[in-house]
Amino acid sequence: MACFGAAKMWMPRESSSLADLLADARVWKLKDASAAPSRPVWSTGNSALDARLPGGGWPTASLVEVLIGATGLGEVQLFLPALVECQRKADVEIPWLVWIAPPYEPYAPALAQQGIDLARLLVVQPATATEALWAAEQALGSGVCAAVLLWLKGTDDRWLRRLKLAAEAGRALGVLFRPERHRFESSPASLRLALTSAQSGAQTAPQPRLELLKVQGGRPGFVDLAAP
Amino acid sequence: MFAVAEVPPALAAAAAPTPAAAPVPAAAPVPAAAPVPAAAPVPTRRTRLWYAVVFPHLLVPPSTAAAGAPPPGLEVLCLHAQSFTSCVSIEPPNALLLEVKGSLRLFESLEHLHGLLDARWQSLGITTHSAIAPSTLAALWCARVGFSACIHEPTLLASRLASLPVACTVWDAERLRSLRSMGITRLGELLRLPRAGLARRLGVAAVRDLDIATGREAEPRRAFVARQRFRERMDFEAEIENVAYLERACEPVLGRCARFLRERQAGVQALQLRLRHRDGPATLVRLGLAGITGEQRRLADVLGERLARVELPAPVRALELVSGRLQPLSAASLDVFGACGRGAGPDTAQRLVERLRARLGESAVYGVAAIPDHRPEAAWRRVQELLLDPDGAPLANAAAAAVPWDPMPRPLWLFDMPVLLADAKSPQRQGWVLEHGPERIESGWWDGKGVARDYYCVREGHGGKLWIFQERRTKSWYLHGVFA
Repeated sequence: MACFGAAKMWMPRESSSLADLLADARVWKLKDASAAPSRPVWSTGNSALDARLPGGGWPTASLVEVLIGATGLGEVQLFLPALVECQRKADVEIPWLVWIAPPYEPYAPALAQQGIDLARLLVVQPATATEALWAAEQALGSGVCAAVLLWLKGTDDRWLRRLKLAAEAGRALGVLFRPERHRFESSPASLRLALTSAQSGAQTAPQPRLELLKVQGGRPGFVDLAAP
Repeated sequence: MFAVAEVPPALAAAAAPTPAAAPVPAAAPVPAAAPVPAAAPVPTRRTRLWYAVVFPHLLVPPSTAAAGAPPPGLEVLCLHAQSFTSCVSIEPPNALLLEVKGSLRLFESLEHLHGLLDARWQSLGITTHSAIAPSTLAALWCARVGFSACIHEPTLLASRLASLPVACTVWDAERLRSLRSMGITRLGELLRLPRAGLARRLGVAAVRDLDIATGREAEPRRAFVARQRFRERMDFEAEIENVAYLERACEPVLGRCARFLRERQAGVQALQLRLRHRDGPATLVRLGLAGITGEQRRLADVLGERLARVELPAPVRALELVSGRLQPLSAASLDVFGACGRGAGPDTAQRLVERLRARLGESAVYGVAAIPDHRPEAAWRRVQELLLDPDGAPLANAAAAAVPWDPMPRPLWLFDMPVLLADAKSPQRQGWVLEHGPERIESGWWDGKGVARDYYCVREGHGGKLWIFQERRTKSWYLHGVFA
């Protein structure tokens, strides 16, 4: 009986038109979401990529998942211009960047060259994956971090959901780097990218391929990073 | 004499814990030939006003009574008394002396202050006897016998004290016995006796006590100084095996510690928790904080993370919390809603770093800094002392800007040790595309870690960008970094 009642409530009335349906608050419209994002975005520094992302940049206060085929495809470089920009824009207190469990030591001269404020960069090297996830959740939810970059071999859906909630609570950008083998697992991230190596032998200067797997408010597909 | 009276009691030299143990030794019998100072005139100028309060029902543990130390309860009462005057002196075993003359302007009148003090003791539910007099011993003696006198003029002291029984002086039993055998029961009778004879029978100390009581001589007093460390022990009703319960059990102690710090406007940077077991050594838990704090929430956060990593060898029966050295708190870190519990206040970078370090370890959380050196491996270092203070940021920026940067590309990931490439052939053979180079780095001959390398930036077949170099002496190729 309760089930029947619930179903009846959900069903539109017989006399409803399409306009009535669209006026319903429960209906989520793709076009509206892409036209007016509720959250501020950070430009990626690449116009081709900006054009493909809703709002024209990396979404803040959300979780971005990057699936990488191998280390060294320029995965961090995707985010560095945005991180520099957000550190430069903040005038009162410079927000922190937290890098958790990077696969190698972040090389300070390279970061300084790019314009990152090293005095506001925190590197965390936890012993286990669980501690890394805990640290990421703490950093994302603290509200003092602009972005949290996290490298993981694997994790479960429940933890990703927690990270997403923490990112929304702390209004921080969470970036999770995972191996490409997790491509077909479901993920609560609002943006999923895959950075894979180029087909060998095709060009003289091979470029890694960036694929948008899941874009809330946008369309998935390949992005040509080299395009002007 | 006036000079002594003018010395602020807080700064005055060591005062006797009991009236009997005055600078003149009272224990040794005084020979008859000992000079007795002549009686000084009672000063007409009003010097000080002492409020004496006696707690007749205060329990004195035998251990502290034997050691002559004030009982712990008296110290708590002292803290209460300190909200009325800065000069509170402990009179073992169960009395306090407050200098109230200095507080009269703040509290408008003596009657008002007296009423406030009595109301404070009443609100604590303690039976007290109090008296006010211009000399310490007069106030004390009146309070001891429950004579709630309020004497303003030093010249009136002798006449007002005359009716008190001699037992109020708490001199030793032998002196009181000899007084009884002389037929003296009241202080008035004692004060009428000639000084020289009195000194011979009772000792110079007794005469000095009488001089102090009648205001002829001043008695400097050492002011009570509150403890500079928090230390509290708590015994549990049942043994605690679970760390999560332990955290909850710590909360009240931690709350009292935070209150202790707030009362002193101080913070701590270290805490120590001692967990006692039925047998075996106690488990020590040390807490280090990134900054000075007295906030309960921050202490609780760090303690919680630290406790979660503790492995208990046995159930815990009691805990003892000992604070580190108290440090003055800067005004900026005070929190208006500090008492509102865990949910209050925004998170700060300092707190985040403390939390991370408490769980992951001190060395797992660090910053990086660049060093102007041409050798890639020497051009950076880890930084453990983070600039957590927002005011420190501009300085750090200036320092970073001062370093001249090479325009040459540098990889984001630098390997600790360069990796020797498998076949010592030229990278061109592997189908790698040269993007940048060569960049010759030849430096460091002076400290034995010299390098002589030609660096290249190449893109390998799958699109990854690598930083490789050729050792100039051996001509072998190494991979040193990855442009991530």
